[in-house]
Amino acid sequence: MTAPGLSADLCLKCNICTAACPVAAVTDLFPGPKAVGPQAERYRQPGAGSVDASVTWCSGCGTCTRVCPHGVQVAEMNILAKAQAARGHIPLRDQFMSRPEWLGRFGSPLAPLANFALSQPLLRLALERLLGIARHAPMPPFSHTTLRRRQRARLVRTPEQVARAATTVAFYHGCSANYYEPQLAETAIAVLEHLGCSVIIPPQVCCGLPLQSNGLLRAARLQARSNIRSLSPFAKAGIPIVGTSTSCTLSLKHDYQNILGLEGEDAAVLAESTFDIFEFLAFRLRSTLDQAILHEVTARALYHPPCQLKSHFMGLPALPVLRRIPELDLHLSEAECCGIAGTYGLKKEKYRVARDVGEGLFAQARRLNVDCIITDSETCRWWIARHTALPAFHPVQILAQSLRLS
Amino acid sequence: MTDVLIVGAGLAGLFAAALAARRGAAVTLITQGRGGLGIGHGCIDIWSAGVLERALPHLPDNHPYRRATISSLRSALTQLDGMLSPSGLRLSGSLARNLRLPTPAGQLHPTAFALTAQAQADPLTGEDFTLATIDAFRDFSLALASHNLRQLGAPPASLLELPMVGLPTRRDAYSTDLARCLDDSSLRAETFRAWKPRVLGIRRLGLPAVLGLQSHPVVMADLEDRLGLQVFEIPTLPPSVPGLRIEAALRADAQRHGALIIEGPHVIGRVSGASNGKRAAGVVAHTAGGPHVYNADRVLLATGGVLHGGLVTLPTGRVQESVFDLPVVHNTQRQTWTSPQIGGRQAYATFGVAVDHQMRPRALDGGPVLENLYAAGGLLAGADRTREGSRQGIDLATAYRAVEAALA
Repeated sequence: MTAPGLSADLCLKCNICTAACPVAAVTDLFPGPKAVGPQAERYRQPGAGSVDASVTWCSGCGTCTRVCPHGVQVAEMNILAKAQAARGHIPLRDQFMSRPEWLGRFGSPLAPLANFALSQPLLRLALERLLGIARHAPMPPFSHTTLRRRQRARLVRTPEQVARAATTVAFYHGCSANYYEPQLAETAIAVLEHLGCSVIIPPQVCCGLPLQSNGLLRAARLQARSNIRSLSPFAKAGIPIVGTSTSCTLSLKHDYQNILGLEGEDAAVLAESTFDIFEFLAFRLRSTLDQAILHEVTARALYHPPCQLKSHFMGLPALPVLRRIPELDLHLSEAECCGIAGTYGLKKEKYRVARDVGEGLFAQARRLNVDCIITDSETCRWWIARHTALPAFHPVQILAQSLRLS
Repeated sequence: MTDVLIVGAGLAGLFAAALAARRGAAVTLITQGRGGLGIGHGCIDIWSAGVLERALPHLPDNHPYRRATISSLRSALTQLDGMLSPSGLRLSGSLARNLRLPTPAGQLHPTAFALTAQAQADPLTGEDFTLATIDAFRDFSLALASHNLRQLGAPPASLLELPMVGLPTRRDAYSTDLARCLDDSSLRAETFRAWKPRVLGIRRLGLPAVLGLQSHPVVMADLEDRLGLQVFEIPTLPPSVPGLRIEAALRADAQRHGALIIEGPHVIGRVSGASNGKRAAGVVAHTAGGPHVYNADRVLLATGGVLHGGLVTLPTGRVQESVFDLPVVHNTQRQTWTSPQIGGRQAYATFGVAVDHQMRPRALDGGPVLENLYAAGGLLAGADRTREGSRQGIDLATAYRAVEAALA
């Protein structure tokens, strides 16, 4: 039995996770986290297939683990069970969407062509028919140049190359900030520098989360080991690893050890030294940020904290900062999840469920008649923007505007 | 810096967070998982044996009600009304007489207040009522409930199984599934249309508590309007829809008034060295990456008892308070902790933290352990809340008193 599996014995069957699960709320294809998790776990044999294919409807949002009052690792258990169920027959589509880094390497140099092609309904229809990628799911445009290319001067191979370790931050861009949204990364870097940090970009690869979510655990471990190897020396030198992609930072902190089962000092040091951007601002740069002058940002906005952010178990560190911004009419999302959950909503057979999960949020945005959405995760931003037809920002972009950095 | 840091998100913790936030304090609530509102009956039990005010003088001095006082309870109930009303929820009942509300097992549960839909079940005697359930809903047994109600002299005039449009067909339906079907206005209209010919001539209808989760007030009004009858709700097996309504309303009220809610981490208390160990400094929370320090002027523990994580029992017979390792009133003879009768006097139920009249945990010498540390709810010593039927009353009264003292 896996380590998360052992926590099944802590389950009292109280159903708090079932009531909170955003997927079970909209479809009867999913029996709920308790049923496919701690309940089914006792029938699972190591190495054997899953007892019930219904676990594949779990989106992996992590709500169940967060709301469990008894410490059952429901989501972790279900991610492993999903991988077990998928073993040996993972569709080409999942292999493909699990590797944003390959896609980026291929798509970025061909950005004008690739972006044009992906915006063509006919091609999307073909992709849906041939591969099963939902044709209405958003696909972000590739950036013409990668962050690493744009910010070559910041690239550093080892911590020894860093001049001023005390105020230095190592930026973990992951795939989205490198291939799709380098401007967002540059905004975050500008905010960090404004608040007195110097920012370097360490060697890194894709965090591996899409592989993990799609059941490709072995490939995910390769990514994880590579990141642990290249990033832990920075962490050991006292240089915090900071990222704007909240699911990537969660992988570095939590999933490597608790889902992929990678143990050892290096993984632990990396976990403790990794920060989501607003976590870093709130816990390491608090006094500087408190003294910073925030200018007005005139907008009516809906802030939706992503599931992956909430799974950091640190609340919503961006919320108090956003609340301080003058003229920002901020509303808090009432939805547990927006539905996309990484790559879940991109899949043809899951698209409808994912959209239904998000419907509460989309309806709230319509009801409040907001100007924009604020949310910390890129996949949530793309997904919510598509379904609300509203611009969606990372909170650091709003902060940068308030600091008059952009 | 947080003015008040609250640990725990049951009724006591959520109520305290909303109350303190309403009074203008900067509030942070940290909770390992969600609290018990979502699995309870959703009623406010004050004193099941009768009128609390009459029983109070006979309670031991360390009983949480004696510590908090009855005026705290009264004020708390007024405040609670104010927190629920923005979500369209209303409590019915009184401190002077208990309601007797049917349980899913067909017993009558004495309680002081309940959401109006549930409270309307009282009185069950007198006017005829029909007891109904929803087709294929397994968490409410019509046969069991009606059999036992008959034994108690409150027989349903007739029994009814009603259809519901939009129900899961590929798995069992939870109470939340039913409630969400009714939240949806078009599914609701179809369902009520299907019910209409079935409920002709019925003036009073008892149903499992699934009449809407987010849109409960709308569902109730719609039902009474379209079908022209009075309905009442009976709690189901968990998830508890009435409890979830109250939880969502309190959470929303706290957040609307600026409280920050941090879900997930286990916390450990910190004591300030600068105060020579006399003050709490805040807590350390185990986040996904590692420990985070949260500073606070005042800390309020609403972590619950043995079943809820506030108290941890050790094999040695020691009972430990889980956040600050406070002194716990208990005995160390494990074999004496429980009674073989399930309804009997359970010694462990009274274990907990002793507090002064400001709800501050007391040290062995009687003074406060820490000047700015408060405790409320199931963590407190001196009450067997299940036997007394005092669980929610103690949560509210002690949380109210603690917030009053903390913000004084």
